Amino acid sequence: MAERETSRDIDQAASTWTARLDRGPLPPEGDEAFLAWLSGDPRRKGALLRARALAMMSESAQALGPSFDPIAFEAPKRSPLASLSRRQALAWTGSAVAAASLLALGVGMPAAGAVIGTERGEVRLAPLKDGSTVLLNTETKIRVRYSKGERFVTLLKGEAYFSVARDEKRPFIVEVNGHRLRAVQAGFRVRKLDEAPVDVLVNEGQVDVAALNQPAFASTVSLKANTRLTLSDSANGRSAADRPRPIAPEAVTRELAWREGKLAFEGESLQQAADTFTRYSDTRIQIRDAGLAREPVTGLFAANDPVGFSRAVARVFAAKLEQDGDNLVLTRGGLHGAGAH
Amino acid sequence: MSSADRQRTRWFLRNILPHEPALRGWLSRSALSGIDPDDVIQEAYTILAELEAVDTILYPRAYLFQVARSVITRHVRRARIVPIHAVDDFEQLDDAASPEQQVIDRDELRQLARAIAAMPLKTREAFVLRRVDGLPQREIAAQMRISENTVETHISRGILFLIDWFGRGGNKRSQTSRNMESEIAALDGRARNQSRH
Repeated sequence: MAERETSRDIDQAASTWTARLDRGPLPPEGDEAFLAWLSGDPRRKGALLRARALAMMSESAQALGPSFDPIAFEAPKRSPLASLSRRQALAWTGSAVAAASLLALGVGMPAAGAVIGTERGEVRLAPLKDGSTVLLNTETKIRVRYSKGERFVTLLKGEAYFSVARDEKRPFIVEVNGHRLRAVQAGFRVRKLDEAPVDVLVNEGQVDVAALNQPAFASTVSLKANTRLTLSDSANGRSAADRPRPIAPEAVTRELAWREGKLAFEGESLQQAADTFTRYSDTRIQIRDAGLAREPVTGLFAANDPVGFSRAVARVFAAKLEQDGDNLVLTRGGLHGAGAH
Repeated sequence: MSSADRQRTRWFLRNILPHEPALRGWLSRSALSGIDPDDVIQEAYTILAELEAVDTILYPRAYLFQVARSVITRHVRRARIVPIHAVDDFEQLDDAASPEQQVIDRDELRQLARAIAAMPLKTREAFVLRRVDGLPQREIAAQMRISENTVETHISRGILFLIDWFGRGGNKRSQTSRNMESEIAALDGRARNQSRH
């Protein structure tokens, strides 16, 4: 029996026909082809009805008016995290707290500085003795050095979320790549990955950013909540050119989904999403098709489950998934046999 | 589209489409190997498209679920190996009204704006010119300096994007259905492997 079309193929064809009908009346031979298509599979009429209904709904976009600026709508209203079940969240918090209580032992050594790290795929909460906490994402290393005047943490590599307890007399300093991030009370994420510039994202409070080797007043940038700043290496002297960008609260939540062991995507390309997964496990997702690699991905996925993610992707984009040792290989086409017998 | 077609489409848009995430969720939770929820949904819609009249349907949501169930029953009978619990599982129908049904009515415009905003750039540009500014495809082609066929492709992609957005992914309630995608896919993947080996 011939390979059966996937529902995705049918949706695609239904969209194409809807767009063609939107362009203008069909020529006679087109009409014939259209009718032939419609009767070829019991799912097609239904798919066409849905495609037309959505095209009809999109007509109401006219009400958005000529001043409609899609950019203003780019961020979604709801955080994907809202749909995390309480049970999942609690389960995770429980294990983090357990890990944290073990770690607390190691943090109390001031002079040399305690180094705390995570393995690939691990997320760990490190409570500091002043009541602040650091949540370490996968493959992250920090050094903690508290003194009388300063609470000093160096981000050596990876990604960490700092929840800073208020202490006006003793600022909380995060040093990363020659930058000092200073906070009195704040919640913020700092990320230092190999190839990318350092990325600072402030969730709560305020963080002041300055280059280490410059007088504070010269180049301090203050970041408020829902702001993001990328820092080029201060070695090349361009750090002052970096400008903070406001970021929607939902985007912040998405960026921080890893705190719940999740990865959230909202239209990132499949390639970007696959790259993100490689930080969390030894499994590699390879996309063998440039078009497929560019497909936008949306959804919330378990960070430690690249297989589940790849299956979902394969299903959504009608791609073929093969596992080869630690490699997951996604290719387009060829697999239309969902219901084939 | 004829006016009868338009009427049916509008009825479908208002009364059926809002329940799609719920239906997909239910189908996925009770997933049977070899039966793809998306196939069932399309086939159920075909049945609705072919109905003589729809104005006698008082409870569209319940009706939709019933139609979907009939599609499954047909598939289960057709399938070579029927899991013993299959039909029983589907008798336990979750038919309670849920907040999902409001997805399209409420904040529809905002949802739509957001969906359009999330489209790939060129597609978005073409789609905005077509739907917001109301330009015909021919004029969009001239303005964007691309062929009419390319404009048609962008419009088609835009529609496909909305199908995914409202049925599966980007909107608020059905986010969970996309979240569950990996579980669904796991089942699905198993079914596929079995069918190929």
